[in-house]
Amino acid sequence: MPDRTNKDQKGPDHLFSGEHIQSIKDQYQDWFNNSLRDADRETEGKYFTHSGIPIKLIHTPADIEGMNYVEDLGFSGQAPYLRGVYPNMYRGRLFTVRQLAGLGAPEDCNERVCYLLDHGATGVSILFDMPTIRGYNSDDPEAEGNVGQCGAAVDSIWDIDAYFKDIDLGKVSSSIVTHLPSTSLVIPAMYFAVAEQRKTPLTQVAGTCQNDFIMETCIGSGYEILPPAVSFRMQCDVVEWICNNVPRWNPISYNGYNLREAGTDAVAEVGIAIANAIATAEELIKRGLKFDDFAPRLSFFWDLHNDFFEEIAKCRASRKVWYKIAKERFGAQQPKSMLMRYHVQTAGVTLPATEPLNNIARSAIQGLAAVLGGGQSLHIDSFDEAYSAPTEEAALVSLRTQQIIQAETGVCSTVDPLAGSYYVEYLTDQMVKRIFDYVEKIEGLGGLVQVVESGWLHREIANYNNKYQQKIENGETKMVGVNFMRADKAKTAPIRVFEYPETYSRQKAKLDRLRKERNDRQVQESLDLLRKKCHTTENLFPYCLEAVKKLATLGEIEELFREEFGLWAFPLL
Amino acid sequence: MKLKVIDELVERSLNGDKLSIARLISMVEGADEYAPYVMEKIFPHSGKAYYIGVTGPPGVGKSTTVDRLIATLCKNQYSVGVIAVDPSSPFSGGALLGDRIRMHVQHDKMDVFMRSMSSGRVMGGLARTTKEASRILDACGKQVIIIETVGVGQSELDIAEATDTVVVILTPESGDSIQIMKAGLMEIADIFVINKADRPGAEDIFLSIQGMLGRTLLKRDWDPLIFLTSAANNQGIEALYEGIWSHYRYLQQNSKLEERRKRQLSQELRSQIENEFAQILWKDVLKKKDLCRIVDDLWQRRADPQNMARKIVEELLADFGQSGRLRKGS
Amino acid sequence: MDRKIKVVIAKLGLDIHWRGVYLVAQYLKEAGMDVVYLGNKFPAEIVEAAIEEDADVVGLSSLSGNHLSLGPIVVDMLREKGLHNVQVFMGGVMPPEHAKRLEKEFGIQKVYLPDTPMEEIISGISTAVKNARLTGPVSYEIKSD
Repeated sequence: MPDRTNKDQKGPDHLFSGEHIQSIKDQYQDWFNNSLRDADRETEGKYFTHSGIPIKLIHTPADIEGMNYVEDLGFSGQAPYLRGVYPNMYRGRLFTVRQLAGLGAPEDCNERVCYLLDHGATGVSILFDMPTIRGYNSDDPEAEGNVGQCGAAVDSIWDIDAYFKDIDLGKVSSSIVTHLPSTSLVIPAMYFAVAEQRKTPLTQVAGTCQNDFIMETCIGSGYEILPPAVSFRMQCDVVEWICNNVPRWNPISYNGYNLREAGTDAVAEVGIAIANAIATAEELIKRGLKFDDFAPRLSFFWDLHNDFFEEIAKCRASRKVWYKIAKERFGAQQPKSMLMRYHVQTAGVTLPATEPLNNIARSAIQGLAAVLGGGQSLHIDSFDEAYSAPTEEAALVSLRTQQIIQAETGVCSTVDPLAGSYYVEYLTDQMVKRIFDYVEKIEGLGGLVQVVESGWLHREIANYNNKYQQKIENGETKMVGVNFMRADKAKTAPIRVFEYPETYSRQKAKLDRLRKERNDRQVQESLDLLRKKCHTTENLFPYCLEAVKKLATLGEIEELFREEFGLWAFPLL
Repeated sequence: MKLKVIDELVERSLNGDKLSIARLISMVEGADEYAPYVMEKIFPHSGKAYYIGVTGPPGVGKSTTVDRLIATLCKNQYSVGVIAVDPSSPFSGGALLGDRIRMHVQHDKMDVFMRSMSSGRVMGGLARTTKEASRILDACGKQVIIIETVGVGQSELDIAEATDTVVVILTPESGDSIQIMKAGLMEIADIFVINKADRPGAEDIFLSIQGMLGRTLLKRDWDPLIFLTSAANNQGIEALYEGIWSHYRYLQQNSKLEERRKRQLSQELRSQIENEFAQILWKDVLKKKDLCRIVDDLWQRRADPQNMARKIVEELLADFGQSGRLRKGS
Repeated sequence: MDRKIKVVIAKLGLDIHWRGVYLVAQYLKEAGMDVVYLGNKFPAEIVEAAIEEDADVVGLSSLSGNHLSLGPIVVDMLREKGLHNVQVFMGGVMPPEHAKRLEKEFGIQKVYLPDTPMEEIISGISTAVKNARLTGPVSYEIKSD
């Protein structure tokens, strides 16, 4: 951190000279004492951002004294990358308009995906149904009642093939939201196998998979969670193999979003993700890779919450924190290793069920903040978030919101437009400091895997939720229409809700056919080999790839993992 | 009239009807006025089951271990009853009972009845309620009864101890031997389990416990066994299972089981008498005595607590003596 | 002595979300109820637990779309087993029309959507149980024939 008490502020790089700052401070004091009423003065010290950073009634250059433009802010596309990861930012490449799709049977999803691509989306996202996310086949008893709800059902390589029918895998960027490392070993493998079948070289295939062990062990609670150390190993296996074989693929998206939605503030959101990135880097370096080999492919996923300026500051700060860690801790040589690229999604947890049309306004404001923060790709939540997966109409509104921001508002015409705002720079600086402190705290407690195993992180989340819920119950945190300005009889515009098409029987029929058509002996052999390799330190990805090519199903492979590694008990409740 | 209904409930329970069994347990839990009648009917049928107490500090994996034991017992054709006890909030009296999360019972294949219980604000205490509930399960045909408690307080330890075999579960992190001794766990355990034994420190705590057992001044006939398990991975469960039965076989020799149970019944009788007495006495005291004035006397040092208490009891007993019988409070 | 209200809470099927159900369980406990938390369970196990625990209320959490597929099954199974007085409540994410259907057609006592204040949930459950105990056979007060 730059020394902010540097009184020798005569050099040309400092924004304001020492005398100037002193004069501002004096006049501020004057203003504070004489222009304000007592009542106003008493409000000082009572306003905070969501994560607890103090907010003053007025912010002045004195709040960022000592800031050195070149060192601390710089230019976009240059260290410390605070203003943006690419020199030209949105003038060069607009943020990817990536709207989530995926419900029901893969064949249905294909229709929605083609629809979005036709209407201008530039990336494809695939969300999965609960059985797929948790690693069950559509006809497993555990999948009952959940097949095709909230996402696409994927059991085998046939389903990935159907989902991406008529889509050139060499030309789209696909975000495969697998969540868990244990399924990130399998479903991306299916995707790559399909690409191979279609003669698309893996060097052309682009996309992301989520692959975050925090998702597996903290964010969802369920019966079949694998132990954190195992999940972390799988996470690194995926990153390692993909870095070596699929150069345009981001093998991990450190998921701040779901952690935030589960219950943390902005500082912890970024802190945990970065702690995970650090742990991954250390593991991969132990495996013999160089930081520059894999760092360019690490990506992040942020939540865009309500506190407008804090969220923007968080985005800017996260870039600087990553740069410093990459450069100073890991000795990165290549610029690409020091850039933090992230996808951002507006916060679902802020969108209530009451008066859903209000959520269009909420998401639009959050979307604007996301763009002002400088993200690489954006998803805007739909107004029916609290009811179900979005209808076509709601999805279109979200898509149009992004396009309006891009094409009509002019905010993309210049890089990092809020730079220089005394308030935003003060917040950014605070965020950087707090994030570093948080990361240090985790290291002090033994590292991220350790704080997960011990239940520390779960307790943090539970405590946050308790506090936040109390604030909602007592009205301190306001939700318009819900606990603030609540209408007696809230008039809701009738919204059409997505009707999930029947998926179970179609998937079951497919699975029956698959089991008949595949060579059972080959499947068994590939699974036996995978089973053996679980207890070595070898990378598991290539063995999963072989198995899916032989038409092993997702459920079979995940069951194998559970048997070999045992289950881990969620520490809370 | 009510008695007839209860009789029917009891009969259905003895025939294995789960709904009826559950209702009977609720009656004893809630200190229903007919609870003594229920126990009167039930008690003669109890005493057949084998009782296993499982206790230990929070977070060691008791529920997971119990789940595995249940599975093993059912595989060997035993019917199982489980009472899982959790502390309740001292402020609200409510409780969050989470032992069933780790339980996975296939009800079509396994004969299991599980009930969660909280310490609540039950008069006469948790120990009595747990005993009564487990006796109901016993009477209604469960062959093995597992009572699971969180070993954080004396009453929880007492409950675990009032069984035939006490299993104390620890993990490598419980390694502070002083704490183990202080917690009273050394005295009551027939079997020690070191769970999560794949973690570092398992060997150390194993040796530590062995050492403590060797040094203990208690004369024990039975040398507590120590097992290493990893319940989440299903490791060590078979050995633990065999170990538990070996303690059972030990109890079968030389009427040890009878001795142990008689001792427990005697303790139970004693504490029940004390409870009953205390309840009645206290109701009378509250009715008759102006406690505020008495406490003021103590505060002003006009009397001391011990002698004052003796005086009050003597006066009350004299009253009872005159009336010839103990009055039940209204 | 009035028996404490006994609530059995489960996440339906494979639902992974735990924040809401965790908070509701805490608040109900603070309101003096005994809350048996089952974690992820399917209807058969939920009903078995309701029987064994002699529950007054079964609470189901669903944020992953399985409310219509699995929720009604729980109600049916409870009634089949003779538990006519157990109230079933649901919480989670679903369209208001589905919530209405669950309440009117499928026997769910009440569905609480995401913004419901905790007070409302607590009083809703308390009132429903009080009424049920007045009108139906209760473990604690046996109604004679």
